[in-house]
Amino acid sequence: MTGLGGTGRLADDLYLMAHHDRTGKPLLQPRAAGLGLAGGLLTELVLAGHIEVEDGEIAIADRNPPEDELAGLVLAVLLGQPQHPARDWLAFLARTAAGHVPRRLEQAGYLTRAAGRTPWSGQRWVPVDPDCAFAPVARAQAALRPGRPPAAQGTALAGLAVACGLGSRLLPCGPPQARRHLDAALSQLDPGLHELIAQTQAAVDSALLSHRV
Amino acid sequence: MPRTQAATTRRDSVSLELARDRLGVPAVLFFVLAGVAPLTVAAGVIPTAYQTTGLTGIPAAFIAVALILALFAVGYVAMTRHITNSGAFYAFISRGLGRAAGVAAALVALLAYSCLQVGLYGAFGPSAASEAAAHIGVHAPWWAWALGAWAVITVLGLLRVDITGRVLGVLLSAEITVILAETAAGLARPAGGQLSFATLSPAALTSAGFGAFGVLAVVAVLGFVGFEQAPVLAEETRNARRTVPAATYLSLGLIAFVYAGASWAMAVHAGAGQVAAAAAQQGPGLLFGLGGSALAQAAQVLFLTSLFAAALAFHNCVWRYMYALGRENVLPAALGRTGGNNIPKAASLTQSATGLVVIVAYAVSGQDPMTRMFFWLGTTGGFGILLLLALTAVAVVAFFSGDPRGENAWRRAVAPALSAVVLAGIVVLAVRNYHTLLGVPPGDPAAWVLPASYALIAATGLAWALVLRARRPQVYARIGLGAHVVTGQLTPPVGQPPR
Repeated sequence: MTGLGGTGRLADDLYLMAHHDRTGKPLLQPRAAGLGLAGGLLTELVLAGHIEVEDGEIAIADRNPPEDELAGLVLAVLLGQPQHPARDWLAFLARTAAGHVPRRLEQAGYLTRAAGRTPWSGQRWVPVDPDCAFAPVARAQAALRPGRPPAAQGTALAGLAVACGLGSRLLPCGPPQARRHLDAALSQLDPGLHELIAQTQAAVDSALLSHRV
Repeated sequence: MPRTQAATTRRDSVSLELARDRLGVPAVLFFVLAGVAPLTVAAGVIPTAYQTTGLTGIPAAFIAVALILALFAVGYVAMTRHITNSGAFYAFISRGLGRAAGVAAALVALLAYSCLQVGLYGAFGPSAASEAAAHIGVHAPWWAWALGAWAVITVLGLLRVDITGRVLGVLLSAEITVILAETAAGLARPAGGQLSFATLSPAALTSAGFGAFGVLAVVAVLGFVGFEQAPVLAEETRNARRTVPAATYLSLGLIAFVYAGASWAMAVHAGAGQVAAAAAQQGPGLLFGLGGSALAQAAQVLFLTSLFAAALAFHNCVWRYMYALGRENVLPAALGRTGGNNIPKAASLTQSATGLVVIVAYAVSGQDPMTRMFFWLGTTGGFGILLLLALTAVAVVAFFSGDPRGENAWRRAVAPALSAVVLAGIVVLAVRNYHTLLGVPPGDPAAWVLPASYALIAATGLAWALVLRARRPQVYARIGLGAHVVTGQLTPPVGQPPR
């Protein structure tokens, strides 16, 4: 059953935020979206306690397979080869995240396939319910409202969204207080989470500066 | 190849997967050459240089500067192996000479690349105007065409439409082919029937006085600008240890060969004594007229595409610099933000605004766009790059002086120190003879205002860095980290072959 609460999974929320709520059109460059979703998938594992991020490296904390199939796949890959730094994992997962995450959303009933707009473009993903598709934006904005105790998942979602370039969607009217509040909330996160979000931001910036985005 | 097979079996699937996406030498080389814009230099810079400076040692200068830059590159690529920051110059100077120097260098780089970008409109305008008048009967002033190109580049910059690698590759190959064809044609018909090597000989570098070498060197450095961009892609290469040096040296060699050949052919065809006058008469036609009319026509069209592509490439270069500095909070943070589709609107628009102001200023003042806008701004940009090269050479020595990091003495000390001395000497000669570079009488205000603008902006940078150190120490501490400013981590050395 779909609802405004979403699937409860961070990468799913981030995917919906990164695409138009009615047409499903991407709002980010492919590489940036991929890196954001990769960060999202890793953040899901950190929030569930399966991995820890420290000093640019990822350490496995709990080998038990998670409930979600995609998270289990990611964890299995991490378990298979643990010696890469976090930014390598981000780059590696970014290549396939944009394919896996919408399929997970399709299974949950939030996305559906549609034919491409032009004869030569492949199929595209379209949200089933535009209100449900917009809900993650509202959730992330709510997590940033001053006066509320920041929840880890909401703050992490907001942080990742800004990291991969959705800042203008999340904070459209752009009062500087909103950004400062986000920075304050991020600094109160678990250091591993904060670092993962920072690594995602660094990866997106690096790609932008090296002309790959 | 047993060694490769052994390495492959040790590589895990993640590394293999990542390697597939990474760049090899050809891709980096194309990226470098795109910034170099061969026909822009061969048909734009070289004839205008002959005309404005009156010096004939330009062919020899390309060879001499290629050797000096190759010496510089030894230390430059060695340092690339130890820091990977797409900001190149200012990152190296930050790590070697300190953060205050880094901020000053960043502003100098911004001014230099900006001059280079905006100056191109001064060549595009008149060339497009004359082509349009000749072929489609449209008569519009140069600034109308310049503004047209400016508008298109502004829109492309905002939409993040870049010229694709393939199109760029085709254009580049066509440009180089045309230049080589014109060179051959020009050498086949020398003035006076005899092929003269005079302009290629080292004596030509100082025949007009020792100071002339400084002037010639700035012109040559302008031709080579772009070669320093290879480290920008270091993090995206398969094997940065090999790819960055290979792309750097290959580009130096190729550029030197093409430009020395073209400028020599122009001097040989017109006669060394008459080349300045011929250049004043024909402008870019000095190159186009070396061969037949069909070749000339093709060259003229490619000249326009070359100028346009170069203007777009430098536009992208400048806004990336602004973005990196905005991310570090050295420049206003708004420059470091992206809008929809990861477009850094503020940075792109700022550079566009600069271009508009300059085009309008030149249009209103009625100065000749080719010599006063294109050549003056271009050579001033080249002078800025020369300053940065000299500073970077010193920074390389300083960087390795505390800790050799496994590099041998030639790479970390001898070569960069030698290049630093030579480059500094050239800077001094250029400053003292700037009037020759600009083609104005000694004592003309432009001859000290233009180089002084770098001194001013560097001083501003130093002052701003000290302000940051006092008021925002956490921002100051992260200067020079580029994309990694947000993690605060120095990236480990790249270029280790995948395990």
